[in-house]
Amino acid sequence: MPLLRLTTGTFGQLRTFATSQALGKRVKTFAVYRWNPDEPDKKPYTQNFEVDLDDCAPMVLDALLKIKNEMDPTLTFRRSCREGVCGSCAMNIDGINTLACISHIDQNLSKPTKIYPLPHMYVVKDLVPDLTNFYRQYQSIEPWLQRDHEAVKGKESQLLQDVEDRAKLDGLYECVLCACCSTSCPSYWWNGDKYLGPAVLMQAYRWIIDSRDEATEKRLSKLKDVYSVYRCHTIMNCTRTCPKGLNPGRAIAQIKTLLSGLVKKEAPIMDPAGLDKQSVRN
Amino acid sequence: MAFSMFLRTPACTSRVFTQQVMKLATQPTLTQRTVASTLPVRSLTLKEAKSSPIFNAVRSFRTTLARRNVETPHDHSKLWVIEKAVGAALIPMVPLSLMMPNKVFDSILAILITAHSFWGLEAIAVDYVRASIFGPIIPKIAIGLVYLISIATLGGLFYIISHDVGIANTIRQFWAIKSDSQKA
Repeated sequence: MPLLRLTTGTFGQLRTFATSQALGKRVKTFAVYRWNPDEPDKKPYTQNFEVDLDDCAPMVLDALLKIKNEMDPTLTFRRSCREGVCGSCAMNIDGINTLACISHIDQNLSKPTKIYPLPHMYVVKDLVPDLTNFYRQYQSIEPWLQRDHEAVKGKESQLLQDVEDRAKLDGLYECVLCACCSTSCPSYWWNGDKYLGPAVLMQAYRWIIDSRDEATEKRLSKLKDVYSVYRCHTIMNCTRTCPKGLNPGRAIAQIKTLLSGLVKKEAPIMDPAGLDKQSVRN
Repeated sequence: MAFSMFLRTPACTSRVFTQQVMKLATQPTLTQRTVASTLPVRSLTLKEAKSSPIFNAVRSFRTTLARRNVETPHDHSKLWVIEKAVGAALIPMVPLSLMMPNKVFDSILAILITAHSFWGLEAIAVDYVRASIFGPIIPKIAIGLVYLISIATLGGLFYIISHDVGIANTIRQFWAIKSDSQKA
């Protein structure tokens, strides 16, 4: 017991030692893109902020929040869930589009961490890009379940889906629409007004292959033109940058094979309207 | 995300809603607030009124299906299959025509190479020489140049086939080149 007592506070002492002045503060520089719409004559610039990493939580978003709380309250960025499920804090960190909340601060103190808004988007303020076009494109693919006979309100019944059919949606439905992939795609930079971009196309594919959706033909025919899908040159920046580890490049390739007619959407294993029919029989 | 989709619902884009927002935005108490705090309201009314600039630097930039379909009405899906088939056909055709030089293989190779490079150059012209950067005329000239280059390539290749030793033999001749020291 006396021996144990000797060791009390060891960890605290170790920590005090590790973070003591003797070893030097671990100060990291963050170079953050700044632009204020209220000062339209001032060109965008990067502002350096110095953050003590021992007094800051591990993620880039924590550092940004610390800067906003303690140094400069005018710093503007989007954030919400701080755990990678909302997609609000998408930004370009050290040249890679990612979510600030799930990327660790680079512990190399000699180099500043550069933080920019998503590339090739109109900037609303500081790190906030204008995603209007991105959302309109998402809207244009009609991202909801469509049936030939819509259920009468109040008389809806559950649609059936086999486990295997459901498995086809894995890797597609997890997308949080953070726009990291679309804004990393050179083709989207060049023709963003007409090319839908990887994020939206992956969602288009998610609804195309859903076994319960009956608007497959309509959905595909809307994508047949030269720009919507075919501006994808399989550059694969989308798959490389996706903070959720999804593969939009593969989804676009699947859309192309479906459009070619060489591959057909498989018939649902389980009749989605099975419950309806059963109730009619009874 | 959810909020921005909510803003686009019919209820929010209706005239009544817009009027409400306008009323709110023009209330004297609100106008006394700072520019920054009224900014969201202001941008909202502007967006619903379909006028373009929020700020001069943030231009409204939109895509509608109608616009996409009007601009490019034709179906590209069949052409895509042909493009990929040509690309795949080149893999066996290049070594085959080099191994067995004859006019039939040479002609097929000439057409495949020209088609393949045409689509490649066309993609470059469409991607880099865009109307949004170069205006309405230069992109058309660029596409015209692509056609010109492709026609010239095809013509040149067929000239070699019909009036010279053929494509495969021309390539084979590279191995026949000897330096002066070797000749001596």
